Amino acid sequence: MSVRAVPQPRRRAALMITCLADMFYPEVGERIVRLLRRLDVDVTLPAGQTCCGLPLFNSGYHAEAAEVARRTVDIFADAEAVVVPSGSCAWMVKHEYPGLLRDTAAAADAARVAERAWEFSQFLVRRLGHTTFETDVAGPLAYHDSCHLLRGLHEGTSPRTLLQNLAGAEVVPLPGSDECCGFGGSFSVRLPEVSTSILDRKLANLEASGARCLVACDAGCLMQIRGGLSRRGSPLRALHLAEVLKP
Amino acid sequence: MSEPIITTPLRERATQALGDRFLHEALDIATTKFIGLRREAFDNFPQGDQLRSRARAIKEATLQRLDEHLERLVDNIERLGGHVHFATTAEEARRIILDIAKRNGARMAVKSKSMATEEIHLNDALEAAGVTPVETDLGEYIIQLAHERPSHIIAPAIHKTKGQVAELFSRELKRPGIPADPEVLTKIAREELREKFLQADLGITGANFAVAETGTVVLVTNEGNGRMATSLPRVHVAVMGVEKVIPSMTDLAVFLAILAKSATGQKLSVYTTLVQGPRRPGELEGPDEFHLVLLDNGRIAQIAGVLRESLYCLRCGACLNVCPVYRQIGGHAYGYTYPGPIGILLTAMLNGPGSVKELSHASSLCGACADACPVNIDIPRMLIELRRQVDEQGIAPWPERVVFKAFARVLRSPALYRLGARIGRLAQRPFVRAGRVRSLPLFFGHWTRTRDLPPVAARTFQERWRDLSS
Amino acid sequence: MTSRADFLGRIRTEMAKTRGLFAASPAERPVNPRARLDLLRRELSERWPQTLERFRAEFERVAGVFHRVTTAAEVPATLERICRERAARRLVAWPAEDLGVAIAPGLGAAGITVESMPRAVPAESERGRLRALIAESDLGVTGADLAVAETGTLVLVSAAGRPRSTSLLPPCHVAVFDRTVLVETLEQLGLALEAWHDGPAPPERGAMINFITGPSRTADIELTLTRGVHGPKEIHAIFVDGGLHG
Repeated sequence: MSVRAVPQPRRRAALMITCLADMFYPEVGERIVRLLRRLDVDVTLPAGQTCCGLPLFNSGYHAEAAEVARRTVDIFADAEAVVVPSGSCAWMVKHEYPGLLRDTAAAADAARVAERAWEFSQFLVRRLGHTTFETDVAGPLAYHDSCHLLRGLHEGTSPRTLLQNLAGAEVVPLPGSDECCGFGGSFSVRLPEVSTSILDRKLANLEASGARCLVACDAGCLMQIRGGLSRRGSPLRALHLAEVLKP
Repeated sequence: MSEPIITTPLRERATQALGDRFLHEALDIATTKFIGLRREAFDNFPQGDQLRSRARAIKEATLQRLDEHLERLVDNIERLGGHVHFATTAEEARRIILDIAKRNGARMAVKSKSMATEEIHLNDALEAAGVTPVETDLGEYIIQLAHERPSHIIAPAIHKTKGQVAELFSRELKRPGIPADPEVLTKIAREELREKFLQADLGITGANFAVAETGTVVLVTNEGNGRMATSLPRVHVAVMGVEKVIPSMTDLAVFLAILAKSATGQKLSVYTTLVQGPRRPGELEGPDEFHLVLLDNGRIAQIAGVLRESLYCLRCGACLNVCPVYRQIGGHAYGYTYPGPIGILLTAMLNGPGSVKELSHASSLCGACADACPVNIDIPRMLIELRRQVDEQGIAPWPERVVFKAFARVLRSPALYRLGARIGRLAQRPFVRAGRVRSLPLFFGHWTRTRDLPPVAARTFQERWRDLSS
Repeated sequence: MTSRADFLGRIRTEMAKTRGLFAASPAERPVNPRARLDLLRRELSERWPQTLERFRAEFERVAGVFHRVTTAAEVPATLERICRERAARRLVAWPAEDLGVAIAPGLGAAGITVESMPRAVPAESERGRLRALIAESDLGVTGADLAVAETGTLVLVSAAGRPRSTSLLPPCHVAVFDRTVLVETLEQLGLALEAWHDGPAPPERGAMINFITGPSRTADIELTLTRGVHGPKEIHAIFVDGGLHG
């Protein structure tokens, strides 16, 4: 009897693109798909995605958020793994979906999707075990901890590991890296002056760090920080982690 | 309803605070310092996280048998010769204290720092009744002279420069030319207030804890005014929220191990004062009468309410120091007695959800407060609950509710969502310059006044997927 | 006015509506605290030099001034030196039996007056005089009921002959103690507090216990640290190797 090599099943991942990346940063989504394919991950995009519902949840519209959650859980019910390019959306799915759908027919699905959801950097480092990439972005780079990823998902290490391992790119610490950027969803337009004041502090810290490029894992943070840098005509950039890792 | 509801919009108060250059700098320096001190204290305290969990558990366990602990506390205080009074409202608390003052013919009361007495607006009531209240905590003394309210839970005058304090002292104490030197200012306060301590008929304090097992009321201070106010005047009144009771001395040791570290980075505050009723017959010094006023003022209703967890609060101020909003706008902009993250919850507790219609949104939900809290209170969760109450009780403005419900409708339908993207692309055309949106009309202008926006992509990711999936 | 019954009744009503947020217990209390404390003291007596060293480091860290003498007989001389450095002429002190050493004769010879606090409570007018005297004194001398090494804290229980303001009103406070009051941690302090309250209080014990960790301080003005706000500006510890109380 001959021995045949058993083919390794290709890893599969369903991409939860998130509303902000879908609408405003589709290039981030493209980078992620190319990156994951190079790592031999079979990436699917379940159809009909809208939003994870976090903006509804945070503003206290929980019944509405639960309906959106139910839709989303339905869409991803059969996924082996769900990759989410935003820390806040990943948090919403993992942390809040089970509670929102606890007493409904979708409870078991919600728990399963929550368990199988990964923020993008976590997926690379913790799930795939892949920590070394190249970059085509000029440094120095500085990492900003988005609140939901750091405090909600207790993740500060995976993104840093990926950045530190980039050959030929200098990584510098960002003073106050764990301080909020001031986005906070609707907060950014309910109290715009306060939101901007908080942003000013973040930008001052970025400038003080000596970095040329800030890296973050959340589309909300990027919208806020890029929006500020752009308005000030700053030569500094703010990129999503996926835009820094070469596919 | 404890405090009058503020009518100036929060946004206006916040913007005014942001324009105060000195306040901004003072807040930055002070909060940064407090953050550093707290971090250093906990870095050198490996059992810190474990003790925080234990402290949280003690608080929850105490609430689960609150009635028993309070009964035991009251019995013990009475056994020691003290008196306990029960105040359901702020008004009642004021009346109880004024009665005590009147019965004793008190004309001057020295006060050790107490947020509970701020909460019930005691000083105004004492003044009106002809009893002069003298704040003795240096920060409180300063703001009393300035006719202001505290702007931070533990550092009430954090918003004032030494120059402002010197000017204030010169003017109010009729001693012109006082230099802007904290040492000199402290010495002056010491002299002025020493006289008051020695003459006062009445000492009024708060209480950080009350140990049920022994009938002991505990004050945590740094200046010595807590010791003065509880030992020199003939009558001592302590005002305390019901949630401050703890079961035993063993529990007390747990809280003492984390309280000062969280507040100021000190291992312990300079003075921890344990008051066990009035002076014993064999004692040379001490009050002849001891009164504890147990305060409800909205707390009891939260035992089974959404704000139950906020009853764990130790009033350390750590959440204020790390809050990105507080760090920008300071305490006065919040408008009520208690500022900062926990302050929003306490304001709702004291004054109802209507009082936090705007304040519940004075947060980016970053979670730094929960991280810093010595009893691990999940403040963001409760802020979201308050927002929910504001929505469900129809307190939120109706245009906002309409917008959010419409938004929810769109998110439930991929077709509407796609349509939304197409409409966005069309509507944004007049506003896109060099690949950015620099100004938008109406409500969207709140963003674009200070920040650019990316335009809605020509093709969304989901629209591009067909190209990517081949 | 709300009665006790009504107040607690409302609390019970609310409590009945909920089981709480999670299963929780208060801290576990020592079963026989007095026996446990005795045992602890015996254990600590084996390692008192390390405990003392830790206490000294923490005491100095909070700006306490630490002195060490070999015998109780040296205490007056140390006090005299402290007084001379501050031009202090008038002291108030716990009585000799409470301090465990007589200081008045030695200091008297150096022209420094020591007013010992009375054990019995005098008439109202005398109490007033004593109050004024304590407020005018330059220095207050006390013992200590406990010295906590973890934090550099002195614990003073008020009692007959040990009035509260001796360690509060004069600008300088000196505490004299020996190895028998050393404990290591706040947790052990908790044990001592349990033990002290286990059973009826001795009749001479007062109604106040103070933990003192360094001199009085504030940072209320621009977060600049200043000392001696209302309480003492300085605190000294005199540790007697050979022990007090004979």
